[in-house]
Amino acid sequence: GLSQERLNMEPTLPDVSTYKDIMYICPFSGPVKGKVFITNYRLYFKSADADPSVTLNVPLGAIGRVEKMGGASSRGENSYGLDITCKDMRNLRFALKQEGHSRRDIFDILFRYAFPLSHGLLLFAYLSQEKYEENGWSVYKPMEEFRRQGLPTDKWRITFINDNYELCDTYPTILVVPFKATEEDLRKVSTFRSRGRIPATGGGYEGDDTYQNAELVFLDIHNIHVMRESLKKLKDIVYPNVEESHWLSSLESTHWLEHIKLVLSGAIQVADKISGGNSVVVHCSDGWDRTAQLTSLAMLMLDSHYRTLRGFQVLLEKEWISFGHKFASRIGHGDKNHADQDRSPIFVQFIDCVWQMTKQFPTAFEFNERLLMTILDHLFSCRFGTFLYNCESARDTNVRSKTVSLWSLVNSDSTSYLNPFYTPESSRVLYPVASMRHLELWVTYYIRWNPRIRQQQSPVEQRYMELLALRDEYLKKLEELQLTDSSPNSSHLSNSSASNAASPTQHINHLHTPF
Amino acid sequence: MARERERDPGVETVSSVCDSSWALFFILKNKYLLEPCASGEIVVNEVSFVRKCIGADSSHGDLWGKLICTNFKVSFITHDALPKQRFQVANRLLGEHDVPLACVEQVVTVNDAKGKQKVLCSNQKLKFNPTELILYCKDFRIIRFRFDEAGPQSAKKVCLAIAHYSQPADPQLLFGFEYVGKQYYGSLVNGVDPGGGLQMPLFDRPSEWDREIKRTGASEWRVCSINEGYVVSPSLPEYVVVPVSLADQDLKQYLCFFTAHRIPLWCWNHPNGSALVRMASISDPLQQRKLDQRICSAITKSHPQRSDVLKSDLDKNLPNIQDIQAAFVKVRHICVIEPFEESEEKWLSSMESSRWLEYVRAFLKHSAEVVYLLEGKHVSVILQEEEDRDLSCVVSSLVQLMLDPHFRSLTGFQSLVQKEWVMAGHRFLHRCNHLKKNDKEESPLFQLFLDCVWQIINQYPAAFEFTETYLTVLSDSMWIPVFSTFLFNCPQQRTENSMDFAKSKCIPMGEEKALRFPPVWDWSQQFTPKDQALFNNPMYVGKGATCVQNGTVKSFRRTKKNYSSTLRGMPSSLRNILMDGHDSLTLTRRNSLVPRLKPDFSQIREVVESPTERFFRDWVSRPADLQGMLIPQLLPSHLALWRLYFLRWVPEASIPKGGPVTAYHKLSQLADEVEKLQSQLRQYKGATPASTPTSNPSAPPSDHSRMYFKAGSTHEPSSIPEYLSSSFPFSPVGNMCRRSILGTPLSKFLNGAKTWLSTETLANEAL
Repeated sequence: GLSQERLNMEPTLPDVSTYKDIMYICPFSGPVKGKVFITNYRLYFKSADADPSVTLNVPLGAIGRVEKMGGASSRGENSYGLDITCKDMRNLRFALKQEGHSRRDIFDILFRYAFPLSHGLLLFAYLSQEKYEENGWSVYKPMEEFRRQGLPTDKWRITFINDNYELCDTYPTILVVPFKATEEDLRKVSTFRSRGRIPATGGGYEGDDTYQNAELVFLDIHNIHVMRESLKKLKDIVYPNVEESHWLSSLESTHWLEHIKLVLSGAIQVADKISGGNSVVVHCSDGWDRTAQLTSLAMLMLDSHYRTLRGFQVLLEKEWISFGHKFASRIGHGDKNHADQDRSPIFVQFIDCVWQMTKQFPTAFEFNERLLMTILDHLFSCRFGTFLYNCESARDTNVRSKTVSLWSLVNSDSTSYLNPFYTPESSRVLYPVASMRHLELWVTYYIRWNPRIRQQQSPVEQRYMELLALRDEYLKKLEELQLTDSSPNSSHLSNSSASNAASPTQHINHLHTPF
Repeated sequence: MARERERDPGVETVSSVCDSSWALFFILKNKYLLEPCASGEIVVNEVSFVRKCIGADSSHGDLWGKLICTNFKVSFITHDALPKQRFQVANRLLGEHDVPLACVEQVVTVNDAKGKQKVLCSNQKLKFNPTELILYCKDFRIIRFRFDEAGPQSAKKVCLAIAHYSQPADPQLLFGFEYVGKQYYGSLVNGVDPGGGLQMPLFDRPSEWDREIKRTGASEWRVCSINEGYVVSPSLPEYVVVPVSLADQDLKQYLCFFTAHRIPLWCWNHPNGSALVRMASISDPLQQRKLDQRICSAITKSHPQRSDVLKSDLDKNLPNIQDIQAAFVKVRHICVIEPFEESEEKWLSSMESSRWLEYVRAFLKHSAEVVYLLEGKHVSVILQEEEDRDLSCVVSSLVQLMLDPHFRSLTGFQSLVQKEWVMAGHRFLHRCNHLKKNDKEESPLFQLFLDCVWQIINQYPAAFEFTETYLTVLSDSMWIPVFSTFLFNCPQQRTENSMDFAKSKCIPMGEEKALRFPPVWDWSQQFTPKDQALFNNPMYVGKGATCVQNGTVKSFRRTKKNYSSTLRGMPSSLRNILMDGHDSLTLTRRNSLVPRLKPDFSQIREVVESPTERFFRDWVSRPADLQGMLIPQLLPSHLALWRLYFLRWVPEASIPKGGPVTAYHKLSQLADEVEKLQSQLRQYKGATPASTPTSNPSAPPSDHSRMYFKAGSTHEPSSIPEYLSSSFPFSPVGNMCRRSILGTPLSKFLNGAKTWLSTETLANEAL
């Protein structure tokens, strides 16, 4: 039967709705008969036969749209069913029997739990009972982060002017502003900035003299609607089947990589100006989409701290979550309005840019591809409170007390998210080559539902881990041998050698030295 | 015959490299000791006060020196150091700034004062004094020299000499003959036998074929020597493997019906008994059916289960050599000629329009389908091609790489190239166009093959013993004309040219059939043992390699089980499909394998996989066994541009302290450490861990590390060396100078060019 363990892996409500005799219309191996289980967190499908063995595991949060397909008069019994569009680059189709109203039941329950906010229900993050060793909510402490950056200084000061979100409801409560700007100045400025968003430090990179000798650079990055359409086009050419006959020109016509390139080269320009001693004001119309992308990417390039596992979490918390990227609007968590024009994959695009950087610099990031995939999975899943809501003021204190942070999951199992090749280089500025020659489609993310593709996460990384394990094994053996080998004439090795893993030459010396 | 042309054996060596009609050249006989100077090398002409261009936009950083043309290479001797020099692997035969003449594809001279430019060919006149010389190289480099301060006549002479000597009239004028003549026969004490120390078969002896028959368990196949002395077919090797049931008499009777008398050649046997065979077309249509039947029945008899034989027509299903050449020229143009920024916007569609990756995919896909037949359907396969000397070299090698892990080791791979390319008579001389007069015959089949291999390596990085650096260096070696591997169209040609040359030079050949040209596999000719370590893949999971699984050290061993158990593991439904044999399996290219799901549900039943697809999907769903069958992912989204090969000289594309090499650096260090620990453990008697090191048995003893980057000590934390870049171990500095010619952007100047430049057009312009 169905592996109960998998369903229990994460907390669910006790009522699991089970539907038998459902046909999953697999675009790869044709119709597959099986059972569907729906909980308040996920939709789970398991094929009845082992051949082909098909399972689906879809968090309801990843569902963007549910539609009834075919009517009673449609040809063939299989044409009657449900069509589900997901936010994570796949679509699902189920064919159902007409008798017994099973379609109405499934549709209703899916519609209700996939879009809880449209039905006056709570997002799953509030129902989850998950417990983790680590509390991810404590990852980002603004004052600590300011201190790490050496703030405040004689040029920058910390202000609590937005303590009650009176100045700007989409900004965090603690802000760093130019030292000379008085509270009165800030209030004045806020009245004519879009939605009261005064210039504040994105990581301390905004200068007080910026406006005097401002050099205006337009980065030609398109708006959120263009990005939404671009990703949609990309989905069309990779799901269910990869466009084979004109792959490269089809990929080009989605412009996805071109947009990635523009964002990356924009961030390089920002980073370059800053490392050249200039301060930079990054802005877009509201300062929560493009600005977040550019500042956070520039910060990744300039400050190696953000390339660590913890540092990256801080970067996301600060530049995206705290500074008011409108996650709720852009993703549409729990909202049935799939055609909402505010939706846009701005954050997905950012994570893609980060992935491109990790590809070009395999040793510069402490985290691995799995972390980026996990972040994107839970961007949609609504299992964690991290990416919910549009800004800090909307994200009332309940979020921290009643939901779990994604970083709780990550930091309780941090080894799975570590890049074994990571080589810390604290002062290194990292400029990726923003060229089509190097940018590539992130196939392990965008084309991961295709069963004809081996889903292997970085074989290079895997092999490195194997070699590490082998090294440890040999070190252990060597130590054991040296311990048992206690006859006076035999060579001896000091006990500390096992910890000196990277110093085999020392071992050899010791081996030949009578102790 | 060209090689019978006038030549006075009495005149000293120099004359043999210099056409007598070219009295223009004043030949300097070994006047200068060039460093490094290959034996048999002679200076032809030289000019001083030459500037080698380094930067693309200014003369800043340019180098001053002497430009020399020898009978082997274009050499630039300078005492200036390169600015911000990055690491470059040193070649024993070539200096830092040298280009072998065989690597020079096109010689362009420019006079900017007169606004003239000309592509120089052999035996041509030049009506202006060049101010600039641009060399377009076969390995994609573009090198420029300025003559502003040089003697105009000397500069002109050097340019003409380079043009002349880079287009030898005859194979024996290729430098290799002088080199081998001097190196191994020139002195009383013979040099080291080239290739003598090699631990790999060259397949020029029956015993080596016998061993391959035994290794693959092809007991119903035998070595046949009817072509000894190349008496029946000049393009076949002397020893071939044929079904036991075919007697020499039968073969002699059949051979006249095959194109160029090329009888079917056995390539390889699957452990299940299925054979891979390559064959030329049958020239006599009347005999076609009968002969096909006889050949097939003989192959069937050699199969333990008497399985069927399927024939795969390569000419019908794959691009031809001209298509491949055209694609290569286009992809090269896009990668190195087009201005970097301008070509960004249309990069992907330009790549597509070159069709290079499409062809790479076509060959991989076709090979994978043959793999399915051998492994999944247990049938023998005949690869048929008109002459069996081009496409079948690629396909047969790829099939064997996918099925037999032996060929994924370094020596295994080299023996594969030796067997399926060199011995099978791939026309390297013509396909490389070494004599530059066979433009229509030129085709980068071997480069295409290397790209296909790279794609598999890219997808299964731990499955091969060698690196992409190895593949790139191997490709570059095609343009160093001293190796037996790439100099000839077939083994017979080597013998014939050797005899001729030896006779004309009074070289005593003794019992030998051919001059001992070193094979490219004798890597010590080019690189120090230390630099050869760059070929070793630290990730390699080879035969007997150790790894840790679930905390215990295990050793991989090739067993019959994990090698041929694919079918047993398959669900019964699939097995039935396979046994039916009526599954409409055709070896044709299909663009879309699965019809798209239509909104109309009545069509859902039509979504059916082909057995091949099903076979691949089934394989993909299980963990990959690197010592078993390896099928590359064939979707176009999963094939990539081989950046090291195509973009290594492009400065704008270089990622400083980045690229895959930075991970390779760390991997090498760790692998080195593991090796050292292993050798320490071995010092304890009877305490050896599960097995031998990750190396193969022929690797050097373990006290010499196989890794280029050694494990660091605890005292200095391992950081990334400054010289690493995505181009490593190559460097764009001074190797890619794409300034405009007389104000015309290079890409416009070269647009529509047949190869690099259209010779006629330019020559006319200059007149």
